[in-house]
Amino acid sequence: MGTFRRLLGFLRPYRRLWAVSFVLALLAMGVTVLSPALIGHAIDRIRDGDKGGLTEFAVALALLGIGRMVLTIGRRLVAGRVSLGVEQDLRDRLYGHLQALDLGFFDRWQTGQLMSRATVDLSAVRFFLGYGLVFVVQSLLTVVLAAIAMTIQQPLLALACLVPAPLIVFVGHAYGVRGRPAQQDAQQAVAEVTASAEESISGIRVVKAFAAEDRRQEAFGEAVEHAFQKQLRAVRIDASFQPVVQFLPQISLAIVLLVGGRMVVDDTISLGQFTAFFVYVMMLVQPLRSLGVMLGLGQRATASGARLFQVLDRAPDIVAPEGAALRTLPLATEGAAIGAVEFDDVTLRYPDQDTPALSDVSVSVLAGERVAIVGQTGSGKTALVQLLPRLYDPERGRVLIDGVDVRDLDPTALRHEIAIIDDDPFLFTATVAENIAYAAPGATRAEIEGAARRARAHEFVTELPDGYDTVVGERGLTLSGGQRQRLAIARALLAGPAPGTAERPGDAGQGPRILVLDDATSNVDASTEQEITAGLREVMRGRTTLVIAHRLSTVLLADRVVVLHQGRVADVGTHQDLVERSELYREIVTYGMADQVFLSREDRPTEVQEA
Amino acid sequence: MSTPDAPRGRGTFLADVRRRRAATRGRGRRIRNLFGMLRPYRGRLVLLGIALLLSTGAMLAPAPLVQRAVDDGLADGDLDALTTLVVAFVVISLIGLVASMALARLVGWLGARLLSDLRERIFRHLLTMPVAYHERQRAGVLVSRMTNDVDALQQMISSSLVTLVQSLLLLAGSIVILLTLDVKLALITFTTIPVLLIGSLAFRLASVDAFARTRETIGAITAHLQETLSGVRVIRSYGRERAHLDRFTELGDDNRAANMKTVYLNAAYFPAVEYLSTAAIVIVLLVGGHEAIAGAVTIGVLVGFVTALDNFFGPITDLSNVYTTFQSGMAALDKIGDLLEQESTLTDPEHPVAVPSPLRGELRFDHVTFSYGATKAGVTATTVLDDVDLVIPAGATVALVGATGAGKSTIAKLATRFADPTEGRVLLDGVDLRDLRQNDLRSRMGIVPQEGYLFSGTVAENIAFGRIGATREEVEDAVDRIGAREILDALPRGLDTTVGERGTSLSAGQRQLVAFARALIAGTPADRAGGDDEAQRTLHRGIGGPAILVLDEATANVDLRTERRIEEALATLLEGRTAIVIAHRLSTIRTADLIVVVDRGRVVESGSHEELLQQGGAYATLHRDWQHGTEDAAAALP
Repeated sequence: MGTFRRLLGFLRPYRRLWAVSFVLALLAMGVTVLSPALIGHAIDRIRDGDKGGLTEFAVALALLGIGRMVLTIGRRLVAGRVSLGVEQDLRDRLYGHLQALDLGFFDRWQTGQLMSRATVDLSAVRFFLGYGLVFVVQSLLTVVLAAIAMTIQQPLLALACLVPAPLIVFVGHAYGVRGRPAQQDAQQAVAEVTASAEESISGIRVVKAFAAEDRRQEAFGEAVEHAFQKQLRAVRIDASFQPVVQFLPQISLAIVLLVGGRMVVDDTISLGQFTAFFVYVMMLVQPLRSLGVMLGLGQRATASGARLFQVLDRAPDIVAPEGAALRTLPLATEGAAIGAVEFDDVTLRYPDQDTPALSDVSVSVLAGERVAIVGQTGSGKTALVQLLPRLYDPERGRVLIDGVDVRDLDPTALRHEIAIIDDDPFLFTATVAENIAYAAPGATRAEIEGAARRARAHEFVTELPDGYDTVVGERGLTLSGGQRQRLAIARALLAGPAPGTAERPGDAGQGPRILVLDDATSNVDASTEQEITAGLREVMRGRTTLVIAHRLSTVLLADRVVVLHQGRVADVGTHQDLVERSELYREIVTYGMADQVFLSREDRPTEVQEA
Repeated sequence: MSTPDAPRGRGTFLADVRRRRAATRGRGRRIRNLFGMLRPYRGRLVLLGIALLLSTGAMLAPAPLVQRAVDDGLADGDLDALTTLVVAFVVISLIGLVASMALARLVGWLGARLLSDLRERIFRHLLTMPVAYHERQRAGVLVSRMTNDVDALQQMISSSLVTLVQSLLLLAGSIVILLTLDVKLALITFTTIPVLLIGSLAFRLASVDAFARTRETIGAITAHLQETLSGVRVIRSYGRERAHLDRFTELGDDNRAANMKTVYLNAAYFPAVEYLSTAAIVIVLLVGGHEAIAGAVTIGVLVGFVTALDNFFGPITDLSNVYTTFQSGMAALDKIGDLLEQESTLTDPEHPVAVPSPLRGELRFDHVTFSYGATKAGVTATTVLDDVDLVIPAGATVALVGATGAGKSTIAKLATRFADPTEGRVLLDGVDLRDLRQNDLRSRMGIVPQEGYLFSGTVAENIAFGRIGATREEVEDAVDRIGAREILDALPRGLDTTVGERGTSLSAGQRQLVAFARALIAGTPADRAGGDDEAQRTLHRGIGGPAILVLDEATANVDLRTERRIEEALATLLEGRTAIVIAHRLSTIRTADLIVVVDRGRVVESGSHEELLQQGGAYATLHRDWQHGTEDAAAALP
């Protein structure tokens, strides 16, 4: 019930429109319940041979129909508006919430599971809130108004007819109790089918490489069968309730025939009244039938709502501080460099992991300094740099930029101060120009090209089918890793000039003060790498730089080196110092860095068929 | 966001009709195929038909019954007749109840079964499609065929199709009942039919495009959402949430506008039909009333008529409702049909040859040419490999070296039969790969793709993925042999650590090592290497694993000290097997038995490291470039 009431909360902004739509429905139904009475009167006039009276009632009936039509059109237009508004609100709310959630959340949830919530579950909820609920209200109105009309005309017969009504309520309730969990199970099982399919299709190369088609098929078949069984359970529950809801009005019809018929013979009621009653009960069949259907939709919507709230109720771990707690970073001033970073006794544990990724790490980076981070696989290099833009928050300790705890900053403002170049850069389905200008949407074409030139991307971009207007990304042209990295460098370059380094006065302090590089040059061949290194030097200029280094050439770009080992700082110093005193560092440098990329990988873009 | 809308002038009407007919071509066959899938459940289908007839019959009963009740029971005051009628009515209703219950169960069962079967069929089909196909199609799009489109079909089959049949039956039954009650009144009632037909047709035509537009806009929303989820890291890093929210709202507005159009259409159509039914009742009462006063018909007939009209107009409204679900269901069927009708270009031979035993592992490219786009008319084929003649001796390691897009990966693809040559042959121990079953071939191979894709599950499960029935001992053994013990044991739960979706909770280096172990476990288990076959055992020195290894070396996914482990692991992997390596590391290239330099689809040089350096050709040039790049680095070394 809690879930259902919360879903109704989405209607709150439309209270007024809802009220209008309710009044229109009430009026339309009020008019509608008059028609059986009119039909009854017409029948009595016919029986009496009163032609004039018959015409009067027939005309009244026709006018009533017109009134009803006008009211219904109005009701549909208003209700449609409400339904579409609710739909959009729901979707915006979910999307906005996903945008606010921290990355730890996305690590735990499969994309397929999130997608099925945003599509299947969302549409179940909006269908019910938008249309279903209107039908429910309208059907209930019909039942109540018809009951009132019947009671006014002949209380005893009305009472007899309405005997099955409480049964309908009872059946509906019983259905609710049993149907909801079954629906929820079925929906969850279908989401698992999606996840299973997505995994196999994305990894099709590996599946084929290991001749594992049969095994994957078997696993998928099991997921499908599981979903089938769950759906079947929901179907069985559905099948035992819905027809009963439809059957009960038939009992009422029988009562009208039996009791009402005797009353006609006894002359307690007229033949017209009998007819009116019969038509009333007939009129109830459809609303009760749709009540049953809508109850089912309501069940589905509630089950879906519960799944949506699983996401919506997950409060973002990383939120902007409010009011007095909110601080801003000091701006660059003449003679005082900015961008100092301090990791103060930081411990980080990823969700659902036992061992911390970082333990008691303390590192100070001076403003404008370039620090390389080296270490074995899993030593915590990526974890360390992810703390800076607050992609994760540490369990213990603090991260400070220019003396300010990053948790005291507005996350968006904080992230504008940090440019990140990933080792596997993601591009959006958009043109090359739009991707480069991602961090600076107002950039001119000249600025975009300038950034691309400095990142050594201009040459290959001009060779693409539509140059800077070529659509790349998931549903566009696929670029090689090296090409994507150069675009990522251009993207970072365009985020703005480093504070205090702008040629023109007044530009100072616009761009990110800190650069985070995750060995961005690793996927290109030796010749291209030299070009990129030149580009990198340019992005680094005047910025505090943290670089996760996989190669000696990258390490040599740095002033100091931090050596991480199993989530702890093993040593800090210049390359020369470390070579002399750290055995771990010597080992890493000797065996890990000298001989990496010899030749290029495929650099040719492949045409991707539009979906 | 502007979707190019076709100009919709009057002149394009015929073109429009033609376009629609073309778009729906093959639907009949597809629907037949879909129903063909129901054949195994014929028994249930027959029961469904019976249940449908019985429940529809029960729904039609009230009108004739009330007519008889009024005329026979009430008019004559015959209470016994009335009681009999009521009893009959209750019995019919009970039959209807049971029939409806059976109907709901059967429809639910058949719908869920059919769609489950269809899901499995699509999945199986996708697994048989060649890698080249999957390279062109996005996984998300393919998966949505199995989910969203199948869901739309399920909606159509389990609710709309039954409603359609039941509505048609109700309509037909009502027409018969009306005619039986009174021919003249019935014919007058039927005059509303042309009005209804024209109105419904106009509504239908107008709504086709409106509903298509709502589907398009919702598709755009889904695509945007999918991309946002994939790119969430970048969005966070640049703090660009606002821009994505704005774009999303924009797409939402488009969808809302499209939906509003359907609201207008529905608001015009359904109340009009409702009014028509009231009008019909008025006419019946007026005309029939005068006749009744004249004594031409009984009042019972009039009451019966009013009752029966409900069953006449009800189904018409239902049918129009069904049409929308039908549209999206048919669109889904089209998409699924298109997918299933794509035939795999890589099929197993009808009479496969057994993999030679003992398998020596000699691979031979016999004048192999490979080009794209050759099948499409009017498209010039792009030649990727041009007359490649190459012998990879059994047990030898061959390093493929070449500049960007030279054709190295294509050679690897042909060797694993992820693609077939356009001309020429690829032979394994003298047998054309096309004569072997793909699974027989690949189960003798260990393949390491560049990015170590992992499945959700534990590290151990991912390693065991290499071969059916791999035991825990074999997994542990493989980990030891590639020297990944220390690194993998350091994971939170060692080999039982869950790797997360696509292995995201492991680092690239860890993934790479898992992929190595997985490749090592493929092929024959160590203790059974060669089995009783002495020659095989000697050949592989009892080490087991795949006879042939195809490895696309990761460029820099493996970092620092792990690198040394990788080199050692690589030596283990390569030892005693035929190996094709798309090499990026000089250390790998140096130790290869044969270096093959590929340039623009041709083999330009081959030989050992020293030989090629001496020749001073393409390889020597590449090597010089590399040396230049690492000079600084070398100078800085202790």
